[in-house]
Amino acid sequence: MQLYDPTTSAPQRNLSRAAPLASLDGKRIGILENGKLNATEMLHEVALLFEERHGCKVGAVYCKLNASAPAPAAMLAKAGQEVDFLITGLGD
Amino acid sequence: MPRDARIHEVPDDLLAAIDYCYGQGWTDGLPVVPPTVERVHATLTYEGRPPETVIATHAATGLELSVHAAAVNAVMAGCLPQYFPVLVAAFEAMDKPDFNFHGSTASTGGSAPLLIVSGAVADDIGMNADVNLFGPGNRANATLGRAVRLILHNVFQMIPGISDKSTQGNPGKYSFCIAERMRGNPWPLICETQGYPKGVSSVTVFAAGGFCNVENHGGNTPEQVLSSIADAMANYGCITLGQSVVVLSPEHMRIVAGAGWSREEVQAFLFTHAKRSVEGMKSVGKYRGSEYDKQHGASAHALVESGYIHRGLAPDDILITLGGGDAGGHSCFIPSWSRGRGSIMQHGPIGVCIDCR
Repeated sequence: MQLYDPTTSAPQRNLSRAAPLASLDGKRIGILENGKLNATEMLHEVALLFEERHGCKVGAVYCKLNASAPAPAAMLAKAGQEVDFLITGLGD
Repeated sequence: MPRDARIHEVPDDLLAAIDYCYGQGWTDGLPVVPPTVERVHATLTYEGRPPETVIATHAATGLELSVHAAAVNAVMAGCLPQYFPVLVAAFEAMDKPDFNFHGSTASTGGSAPLLIVSGAVADDIGMNADVNLFGPGNRANATLGRAVRLILHNVFQMIPGISDKSTQGNPGKYSFCIAERMRGNPWPLICETQGYPKGVSSVTVFAAGGFCNVENHGGNTPEQVLSSIADAMANYGCITLGQSVVVLSPEHMRIVAGAGWSREEVQAFLFTHAKRSVEGMKSVGKYRGSEYDKQHGASAHALVESGYIHRGLAPDDILITLGGGDAGGHSCFIPSWSRGRGSIMQHGPIGVCIDCR
């Protein structure tokens, strides 16, 4: 008996990680909020730790309109130009 | 066939083949029909485009659903070939960005894609719109809904506990598919309100939370019946700015439409009454100023009442139709997934190409 496989292979994608920052000192922070309850408070609290410990500054805050959808590509591209690293992530 | 279509050679033993599918992790927990080459090819005869045609893409992973993969999973779910155009149309609707099927299928919220088939196709393929509407017993309803789940599982890899993080799940995640009842329906069919040419059937897809039965055997006026539905829609557990589906039972429909109420009047009544006060929302810890502002801002609907959170943003966020058996004062309300507008219901024509890409 011959059965078709019901799964599909992941497409070939050109994915690579950004190079890690050599140092956090004085770097510009971006905050990517996802709109979840308390996301603003939690992410800014995390940013405050970076400010206190590494002299970072919050450079920009980006707000996703839909917590469960990927961030728009244009938003990420803009962040790439404006800040050195992003803080994001809040679930339920 | 797509170049990457893979074939598994298994012993010529049906039970062993079913076990093989289990072993491969291809099932929803229930036995599947082994997707033999012959059955898949028979299913593909109901789609005019080449098997490699992509009909949906996962926004986060890039995984793609081809016509061929859809047919394989349809066979596994137990679909007859003639059901296939409904499944294809459902995924083309789910593929629209505002449906956000990644979020709605990965979320802790545990939603399930509800399919509502409207128009002559439902009768043509033997769907149930009548007694035991959401229950078992009809092959087309059961297997079409199941095929959606198998595709999410096998093609898009929304695996429970890994990429599907649903806290408690939802029985509809096995299968959630109904037909709109045409018999005795006093209102235009859903497909007739969606702008399709006359005679074209449609499937509406809705990222649905759990099913809520609304019992009212004592109400004899539209206001009485609809107030009980509005109360269900406004319960603290699920009131949000999200959309709603309401399926009126024939008994309730006779009361409502018998008094001359149109679908639009029912939508307006439900939107007006499905609400909670700001104080009440605060008392249960669910008030959010941003949501209030969204509903009460410059583009607020005229029926929005100051000091209250309504369910949805406008009356047409409530999809209402007829379904179920003749006996019983049992309608239902089905809330949307998510606390807001994370997924917006979509629809598509079945078996025809309108404004094709």
